[in-house]
Amino acid sequence: MKNKRIGTLVSDILRWIYLIFFVFISIGPLLWIVMSSFKTNKEILSSAFALPSNFSFAGYEAALKLAPIFKFYNNSLLISMVSTILNILVVSMAAYILARCRFRGKTFLTLLLSSSLLIPTSSLLMPIYIIMTKIGLYDTKTGLIIVYAALGLPSSLFIIKSYFQSIPVELEEAAYLDGAGFAKTYFLIVFPIAKSGLATAAILQFLTSWNEFMFALILTKSTLARTLPLALNYFTSQFSFNYTAMFAALAMVIIPSILIYTLLQEQVTDSMVAGSIKG
Amino acid sequence: MRVKKRMIVCFLLPCILLFALIYLIPMGIVFVTSFCEWKSGGVFHFVGLRNYIEAFVNDTRMHQALKNTGIWALLQSTVHVGIGTVTAFILSRKIKGWKILRTIFMIPNVISAAALGVIFLNVFNPKYGLLNSMISTLSGSTFSKNWYFDQNSAFLTVTWSWLLYAGLVMILVLAGVMSVPEDVLEAARIDGASGLQIDFKIRLPLVRTILGTCVIISATSMLREFELIYLTTNGGPGDTTLNLPLYLYKTSLTDNNYGYANMMGVLLIILGIFAVFAINKLFRMSESDY
Repeated sequence: MKNKRIGTLVSDILRWIYLIFFVFISIGPLLWIVMSSFKTNKEILSSAFALPSNFSFAGYEAALKLAPIFKFYNNSLLISMVSTILNILVVSMAAYILARCRFRGKTFLTLLLSSSLLIPTSSLLMPIYIIMTKIGLYDTKTGLIIVYAALGLPSSLFIIKSYFQSIPVELEEAAYLDGAGFAKTYFLIVFPIAKSGLATAAILQFLTSWNEFMFALILTKSTLARTLPLALNYFTSQFSFNYTAMFAALAMVIIPSILIYTLLQEQVTDSMVAGSIKG
Repeated sequence: MRVKKRMIVCFLLPCILLFALIYLIPMGIVFVTSFCEWKSGGVFHFVGLRNYIEAFVNDTRMHQALKNTGIWALLQSTVHVGIGTVTAFILSRKIKGWKILRTIFMIPNVISAAALGVIFLNVFNPKYGLLNSMISTLSGSTFSKNWYFDQNSAFLTVTWSWLLYAGLVMILVLAGVMSVPEDVLEAARIDGASGLQIDFKIRLPLVRTILGTCVIISATSMLREFELIYLTTNGGPGDTTLNLPLYLYKTSLTDNNYGYANMMGVLLIILGIFAVFAINKLFRMSESDY
């Protein structure tokens, strides 16, 4: 096996060219953005590749002055966290019943709830806008929290329900027989056992909320409830001529996501795989 | 387990309420008002199929949006799934550094699509963009093309912006390929199958249902694609890069023509359901291989 034939050598080289090209288009633009964020406007316009003459944070200062990025950060963090908690709590309770109990209309309910998997959410844009305006949640964090918790409903339901079905029922029955009530059994026994399944769903839900753009765009109008992805929309019009500030803002938006992903990548990958394979 | 009815209702109710508020009631509104003329200023009356007839007969923007959505869904579910699958198969041989490569390919998939859109807006910028600068450097003369706003290049430039979503396909296929039982591969090797033969004749058929899932995800993602167009070309130049979700957004929030927008919502829902069932059938998703 050691003496490679020409054929395998060529295929090796082709393979590496392909992979290097892919690496380049995947992170080349990101590295370029981060590098350019330290340049001056003049440097950006004169040469795209030259390294910045001196690393200045002027772009970052300008970006923070021009838009309340930290405010957007806070909003994003709060909205994503609360919507994740709400989603996991509400969906896991229903998933538990659907996984464990028998009652009339169960099949119908399961089908109905999973049917939301088939609906492209963009189609519901207008009625959701109307409903949120009518119940007074337009341009509030609460409004976005509710919408996001619901958007993740089908994938969370799927992940959590199959997790519940995979854990044995005996432990719960024992607790139940010992006189613990149903709710108590659920929150004190089942919840801790199902931790890893719930975490899988939670990571996916958090990512979805953190990155969501369309509903944030139509359901908010002030900095009070706007989230980080919208900050960028704000930028393209606000700083049309301050490129350094725009690059700095982009860097501030993408770096935390990339850092968190590289730190938690096994979990994030598992969540994405689990959330996608839902038949 | 025997549980009191009251408990079942208590546990199910919050989820059902959430579902009703964001899915069920909006879907009802979308279906009913798609048969109405409903505009701002209190215009609201039943018009039957007029919205649908208008859309299919007269509305050329609608034809363009439908065509683009269809082409993109097709490209996404063939080219991008293909690229993702090939990458997954290369990485599955556990070549040196495959874990780092996997991370790198996933990065564009975990940052927000809005950020990705603005990044590409800069990469393809005619004045200082990365692409034009590269071409200028390589060719030695100044090259200036407005990729996003040139009639000829806009469509392909927008298409490029979701090429990197092949990373998600890669991750899914990779997870599937890795879980093909080792003894199956061992048996093939003993029978004298080469690496390429194993890839094509054994691993590829065994990840069929995962490929089906990837095609479904890719095709339906094009039915909700919004920000990567909104933040770059916003459908332009003309309507070259208009798709159905963006047209729906413009019709309802810019033109305040709610009934017509909801007719598009109905079309999107029908297309979504149709795509899922057709692809399910195509990939025989309900049959198992193991």
